[in-house]
Amino acid sequence: MKRILFLLFLGVFFITLQTTWLASLPIRKIRPDLVFILTLYLGFSSPPVSGGMLSFFLGSLMDLFSGNSFGLYAFSRPLLFCGVQLFKDRIYLESFLSRSLFVFFFALMEGILLLVLLEALNPEPLRNLYPAFVPLFLFQSFSTAIVSPVLFSFFKKGFSWLQAQPRAGLGGKG
Amino acid sequence: MRIRNFLSRRYTLPAAIALLLLSALVLISLRVQDRKGVAFFDRLLMEVCSPFQKASTFVLKKAEGVFRGYVFLVDLQRENEELKKRMADLRRENDQMKEMAQSHERLRKLLQFRETLSSTVIAAEVTGQDPSSWFKSITINKGEQDGVRQGMAVISPEGVIGQILKTAPSQSVILLITDYNSAIDSIVQRTRAKAIVEGKGENRCQLKYLLRAEDVVEGDRVVTSGLNGNFPKGLMIGEIKKVDRKGHGIFQYAELVPSVDFTRLEEVLVIKGSPPPPLEEKEKKARKARKTK
Repeated sequence: MKRILFLLFLGVFFITLQTTWLASLPIRKIRPDLVFILTLYLGFSSPPVSGGMLSFFLGSLMDLFSGNSFGLYAFSRPLLFCGVQLFKDRIYLESFLSRSLFVFFFALMEGILLLVLLEALNPEPLRNLYPAFVPLFLFQSFSTAIVSPVLFSFFKKGFSWLQAQPRAGLGGKG
Repeated sequence: MRIRNFLSRRYTLPAAIALLLLSALVLISLRVQDRKGVAFFDRLLMEVCSPFQKASTFVLKKAEGVFRGYVFLVDLQRENEELKKRMADLRRENDQMKEMAQSHERLRKLLQFRETLSSTVIAAEVTGQDPSSWFKSITINKGEQDGVRQGMAVISPEGVIGQILKTAPSQSVILLITDYNSAIDSIVQRTRAKAIVEGKGENRCQLKYLLRAEDVVEGDRVVTSGLNGNFPKGLMIGEIKKVDRKGHGIFQYAELVPSVDFTRLEEVLVIKGSPPPPLEEKEKKARKARKTK
């Protein structure tokens, strides 16, 4: 329960950072997607049901403050979570480089998925989005990939600390 | 017992995946149909996140204020801000007067009329930006409690900003004119050529459905036509930067630079009342009614 509440709080905190501080910096165009990194980490470390629901919640948070009115992230983030769950035991993810590459690959996949969904849902094809894919989205995926190993280590230490906290109960001291 | 046994088998993960994705698809479908239940869920989440955003924006503004006010020459900064504000007010006044003068001159030959723009506005502060790079939106600190409703026009002294996309009790999300989903009915101020301004991302818009025969050049100003009912007539949208006639077709296209600098947006105005339809439309309807009689 503590872990889930911590993850929910972290999701709200990251979305706040993304919409305020990161958006005001000079790197706003290619700012890393912190909520995306958290979703991928959930894929590594959480059970399928609770992790899936959390990833759905994180996607909904993104949709809430985003200019898309369809709710695309509520669909794409759980899908990515499931993808990570499928591949997590098959890929070496202990080094900085392997984690970055993994996140970069999934960020690109999400970009392509969003393009496909927008094409399907929008009556008129969004021609202007395609030119933005390389100069904007590619660099954003790269910045997300660079930051991800640092955040993964932070999450790992944070959750280890949470689990190491002594439980106060009938059998506990104090 | 049966359900537990079923779930404990190896179908748990695929079933969970299928259920999640189905829920997301159902949500998308409900949003497309604009169902009220989904909006309630969104409003609730926005209210939960609202205090965090406001607190974060407050701290950010203080930090920026320290840098601007003390690290970078105090007096010059203050004077610069005052002059910029004054210039923006004067520019807006000038645009409105130009529009009024042109309207008056054009219609003086046809009929006598009086045009009024009477609408109340709600001032709001920008508290957040779009979390993704695909879409262009901002969040403001006014919502349904303050009278903000979906579809209301949002402007600044420099020009048009966008439309209200989503509302919560104390927050709202604005779709900027630079977003790919945004489309505003507009006219070229000099020649009165009609077109649609669509977002092109990254502080750019595109003028579409502009007839090839229309005289449009670089530097022409584009204003709202007032036809779609949300935006009052004559509000500045931007300036044409490039005209593309292409080799064929009945339309030409132009690239537009918005008059508003979206990277420095801090305060906005939400237009509360909807403007009366422009007189040309009223006249057209009256003429049609006379012909059918």
